[in-house]
Formats: sequence, C-alpha cells, structure tokens
Amino acid sequence: MNIEIKGLRFTYPTGLEALKGINLTIQSGEQVAIVGQNGAGKTTLVRHFNGLLKPTSGSIFIGDWETTQFSVAKLASRVGYVFQNPDDQLFSRDVLSEITFGPRNLGYAKEKVDELVQRALTLTELSDKTETNPYDLSPTWRKMIALASIIAMDTPIVIFDEPTTGQDAVNVARIANVIAELKREGKTVITITHDIDFCAENFERVIALSNGQVLLDGPAREVLGQEEILAQTYVDPPQLTRLGKRLGLKETVTRQEEFLQALK
Amino acid sequence: MNPNRSFFVPVDSPLHRLNPLTKLTFVFAMILPAFLSVPELAPILAIPVFLAAFIGRVQKPYLNLLLKLILPTITFMFVMQSVFLPGGETILFMLGPFDVTQEAMRSAFFTVTRIFVMVSSFALLLLTTHPSELMSDLTQRGLPGQFAYVIISTLQILPQMQAKAQTIIAAQRSRGLDTESTFLKRAGSLVPLVSPLVFGSLAEVEERAIAIEARGFTSKKTKTSLHEISDTSFDKGLRWILVILILASVALRIWLS
Repeated sequence: MNIEIKGLRFTYPTGLEALKGINLTIQSGEQVAIVGQNGAGKTTLVRHFNGLLKPTSGSIFIGDWETTQFSVAKLASRVGYVFQNPDDQLFSRDVLSEITFGPRNLGYAKEKVDELVQRALTLTELSDKTETNPYDLSPTWRKMIALASIIAMDTPIVIFDEPTTGQDAVNVARIANVIAELKREGKTVITITHDIDFCAENFERVIALSNGQVLLDGPAREVLGQEEILAQTYVDPPQLTRLGKRLGLKETVTRQEEFLQALK
Repeated sequence: MNPNRSFFVPVDSPLHRLNPLTKLTFVFAMILPAFLSVPELAPILAIPVFLAAFIGRVQKPYLNLLLKLILPTITFMFVMQSVFLPGGETILFMLGPFDVTQEAMRSAFFTVTRIFVMVSSFALLLLTTHPSELMSDLTQRGLPGQFAYVIISTLQILPQMQAKAQTIIAAQRSRGLDTESTFLKRAGSLVPLVSPLVFGSLAEVEERAIAIEARGFTSKKTKTSLHEISDTSFDKGLRWILVILILASVALRIWLS
C-alpha cells in the first residue's frame, strides 16, 4: 500500500508553519527512516499519515484513501502508529488485554485477533508476561508492549516514533528484530529516529527533514554520506561513515560489514 | 501560545512594572473597603478598578472576561436578589407573581458591585502579574515555600494535564479507538483515556517532588534568589497609601454607625 504525499503544507493553530510543501512517495514494503533536528517537522509529518493531523493544503493518500475523507479510527486499519512514550497509551490490567485492544477495535474475528496477538507476543518476546500488569514491568518492557499492541493490529504500514530512545542495547536489538520481521512480511515501516547508527543498520531509505522541508531523500548510504548537507539539520553521519571518510575509502560505508569489506 | 496558559498578558505597562505585593495590596484596598465599609463605597471603587485595566493595557482580555464571566454572573445575582430578597416595602413593579421592591433592588445593586470589585481586581492582578513572579516575591518576603508551591502547581497542573490528555487521545485513536461517533461508544472509550492520564499524572507528581527536593526545597537555610523583583520607593509609598485607605474606609463605617 503506497503512501502518496503531494504539496503537503501544515500550519499549527498558533501560526507556526511546520510543513512547507512536502512531496514524497513511499512504496509498499519500504523501510524508511526519517531524521532531522528537533522541530524539523518529523512528528508533524507522520501524524498526517494516520489522519491525526489534516493538511492545511496538499493531500495524502494511503493506498486509495485520502486521509481527509476518513476518521483516525478508520485509518488505524491501514496505518499503525507507536507513540514515543508507552505510558501515554497503556491502560489495561494485563499485557494480554492491552495487546488485544487494537485488533479488537479493528473488528477482526475472534480467531484472527487471537492469532495476531500471539504473533505479536512472540515477536516482542512478551509471551511469558501476558498476565502481568504493564505498570509492574520496566520501561523497556512497556515499550515492547506498546510495540506489540500496534503490531497486533496487522496494518500494512507501521510508524515508530523514536523507538530506541532510552532503550538499552538488548532492547534496541529486539526492536531491530521486530522491524526486520515486519520487512519480511512485506509491511512498510516508517521510523522517526535520532539514533543514526540504528538508522544506518536497519533502514534502506533515509529522509532528512529540515525546517519543514525535505532536505535529502534516497538510499541510506547516499543520504548518510552527505555530511555537509546533513549538518544543516544537526545530523551527524554514523561514526563508521565518518571514519571511512577520514581513512579515504572510495565508497561511503554505513555498516560494519561494508566497512571491513572496503578495508580489504 | 502562553506555555503556562495562565491569565498573564505579557505587555509592558505601569501596572506590569509595579511590585507584585503592591498590586496585591491594591486588590485588598479595593475588596476590603467594598465589603467592610459603607455599601455606597463599592460603586465608587468600581471606577478605579475599571480604569486600572486601561492603565495596565489589558483592557481587551479584561473586557472579554467581564463580558463572558463577570457580567452574566452578576446579572443573574442582581435579578435573583431583586426578586427574592425579603423585607422590602416599597413595591416598584411585579415580575410575574413576585414583587420587586426598591429596598431589594438597592441591596442587590450593592451586592453585585461588591462582587464586581472583588472579581475584577483579582482578574487585574492575574492579568498583569506572572504567577511565578507573585509567588517568588511573596516567598522572598517570608511566605512558606510549600504554600507557594501548592498555589503554583494548581495553576500549572491543569494545562499540563490538558496537553497530556491530548497526546493520550491521539495515541488511542491511532489504535482504532472511536472517539468521534455515538455516545455509547464514546462512554466506553473512557477507561483507555482516563487511566493513562491518572497514572501518568501521579508519576509526574512524584517525579516533580523528587526534582524540587534535589534542589533543596525543604532546606531550612535562608534562600537567595536569582530573580530580583523590583520594589521601588514608589511601590512602598503606594502600599502605605493603600493601607491608610483601607483603615480610613473601615473607620468611616465605625464613625457613621
């Protein structure tokens, strides 16, 4: 299911123009990372994908649906959105009912809901915690519950807002694993992140936003190599990329294997 | 948007430049005589209060408040008191089955002008004084910090909870929660919205308590302040004049009775 954004502009009621003409197409099954300084418009942009915000001008199509024509509850069947702070959404007494909430809202049959919930639990390694109250678990596990509760909705498009912020290495690996699995299932994954190493290792396409406009857009290696342009939106290329450059490697490298390959 | 969402209007005016305590004294110099002294004083006091809004350059939000909040309230009170206050003899006219007496109307008039003076002068204080400035001035003068904290946090907690509620609503709608359709569906959506709000707010209160304690909130030592609040001799003089006015108005009451 493609996302088609044409001439998107958005002005907040306070008069702040957060998006100043965005044109993008995100193909079905793409893994996209959105980077950029605070206030660049990343969250404002993705909140348009599931209709939480409606464009001031321009249009967004999710497949054949124009977002202005559908309610957020309806769009939730196509676009899942994991918020940054899990505590803004967890309300159930136990993990299982928390994760069941989303798919049940979408009106799937009971068997389908159970199947989706089990799959989400396995993927997020929460299977042994179904009876626990989410608030008795650590913040890292609460993050995984939030992830699971969206994955269980089985939407063709999944958005993560800063999934790795405040997470330890083990949990970052778990989140990367979830994203890889979603990719295998052919889902579109869009992630806002400030974690540029995470971005380099897990995403094929990177979009850099600056001041409400698209600064760079392309394959991760191309975008992350543009040190000077990225600096405009306060993004540093990954350490390996910078090191590779200092060493005078011909190609831009972003991942360990590429770096070692280039050294040979 | 004002991040604190307090009443405060950030403009520069003679009223804004006054020391917060001077303005607080002004508030009491209007309210105390209006309530304690002869009733005829209240309508006279309404005039300086009204004019002060123009001196403070907050006439627009003040008139807005006046029209939307104060006027409807005092109109209602005026009508109710005029109709139902017993003991009047001079009947002016009938309102349905009720007689409206001259005495009741007179009494109602003085009551509403008192209310007007009280609400208006407090409104002016809030419009021209940033709450934290008022509180830091009062704590520097010896008001217990705990007391100031209670007042400030009450002023801040509502806007903060409002912002948090917005995020929670957005998060749950993204999970397919229908907040837009029928009443029954909306009533059912209350739990997913309210419980993160309550848990989150409780956690925030605790975190805030730890944060301010980490900065020596309950320390018994005398604290200095980074933020100096000007207190000119004009302020001091004005406060004395206002205090004398309060005493004089009370004396007038005693002398006349």
